[in-house]
Amino acid sequence: MINTLLRPILERIPENNRVERIWKLAQVDFKKRYYNDKLGLFWALLNPLFKIAIYYMVFTFVFQINIEHYAIFLFAGLILWMAWTEASTKGLSLINTKRYLIENIKFNHIDLYISLTISVFIGFAFNLAAYLVFVAAVGIPFTFNLLYMPLILINVFILCIGSAMILTVIQIYFKDIKHLWAIITLAGFWSSGIFRRGELFLEAFPPLRVINPFVGIVMNMRAISFDGIGPDWSLMGINYATGIVVLIVGIISYKKFSHKAIEML
Amino acid sequence: MSNEVAIEVKNLSKTFAMINKESRQLREKLLRPFSTKHKVKEIKALDNINFTVNKGEFFGIIGKNGCGKSTLLNCIMGSLRPDKGSIVNTEGKIIRLALGMGFDPNLSARDNIYINGSILGLTFREIGDIFDNIVEFAELERFVDVPVKQYSSGMQAKLKFSVAIHAKADIFLMDEFFGGVGDINFRKKSTKVFNDTFLDGRTIVHVTHQLETIKKHCQRVLVIDQGKQVGLGHPDEMIPLYASLFTKHAAPKI
Repeated sequence: MINTLLRPILERIPENNRVERIWKLAQVDFKKRYYNDKLGLFWALLNPLFKIAIYYMVFTFVFQINIEHYAIFLFAGLILWMAWTEASTKGLSLINTKRYLIENIKFNHIDLYISLTISVFIGFAFNLAAYLVFVAAVGIPFTFNLLYMPLILINVFILCIGSAMILTVIQIYFKDIKHLWAIITLAGFWSSGIFRRGELFLEAFPPLRVINPFVGIVMNMRAISFDGIGPDWSLMGINYATGIVVLIVGIISYKKFSHKAIEML
Repeated sequence: MSNEVAIEVKNLSKTFAMINKESRQLREKLLRPFSTKHKVKEIKALDNINFTVNKGEFFGIIGKNGCGKSTLLNCIMGSLRPDKGSIVNTEGKIIRLALGMGFDPNLSARDNIYINGSILGLTFREIGDIFDNIVEFAELERFVDVPVKQYSSGMQAKLKFSVAIHAKADIFLMDEFFGGVGDINFRKKSTKVFNDTFLDGRTIVHVTHQLETIKKHCQRVLVIDQGKQVGLGHPDEMIPLYASLFTKHAAPKI
């Protein structure tokens, strides 16, 4: 079904073996998650809609928080954060789940990481769509600033690929990294300004803008879609720098050490 | 068989670092940073192997269990990195055919065929052209969209065999993989196709314990024992050499 939706676009792209392969791997990953093809997509759509509806009810009726549109405010940060944790956590076990290919055919493994991130982003696209639908539904006007969205998404994308590769390398030496990783992501979660405005976090602890790129990413996401203003360019710059460093470190360390990881499978 | 070299292996050695399983944990390293338990034990799996395989040659590798045959294939494949100073040059795309080969059990035959084909460098259009042939040969037309894990082992073997003979790679590394799988009918058909068309003109490295296929097809054979190269030459000379490995360290009497 995703294929049918995207067919007009896919048909215009010239035949390229590598693009096809990355897309196919991403597609089957996504398909495996939502097993049956047609109903699967239906669930992928419904899941975020239900989630946001539950948040909405919890924060308006249970906690009675009097901030306007708090559930949507929350969801903006949550979906970005969830996309990244999903990609990095799956990256930890990627060479294990794709062992059947790595051991039998010679190819460039970065394709696996790109396709993993794409498959996570397909799910993320549903969340994002649900988010935008709710933003429109409660009457927040869209502005042209929304067009900056791709910049934020690309930033998250490269962060995902880079951190997945770095984690693969780390777990060669520390096999129990996944337990530590769960703690690190939890710390990251509470310091990313998902439940409160990121500005408060940055005022309290300024180095956070470099340490945790998601503070800036979430702030910019809310700026362009929720507040209808332009992104904070200095934060955007810092976040891109972090993303590119993470990606480069990831690729170099993977090239250097990945054979050890494969040996220990 | 031409004189162009498809695989060149020079001074190939492979040492495995056997790290204590517990030492790979952060917990252990933090609690006992200077423990002698963390010492790395080294095991030499391959020691100075030298040979070349020409294009179109059927090259055999024989040796006892655990002598390093599969490690050697993995080094040629590139999934294991050999020690410093080793040279492994290969020409073109390589696929390894083994019984546990290349399928994700949760995906359908269709997806598995597309993924494998794509990684081997075929475009989707090219895969589409041979797709029907693959499925038809494997006699699995009715089960193309069923996850492979639901196949019987015979059906899986058929599918693997069919993908293998349709795969377009330059070098085939066959790890205990040869024609003759499935029921009687399929066995006949597969053996015939294998001998008549598949073997013709392909560069194949074959690791096996079946000396008949070695005798019948191989132009040259490499004999390995405990990671060392014992002999390289015509099967008629190498098979007796291989047999003598067993008599040298005779099995203990029970």
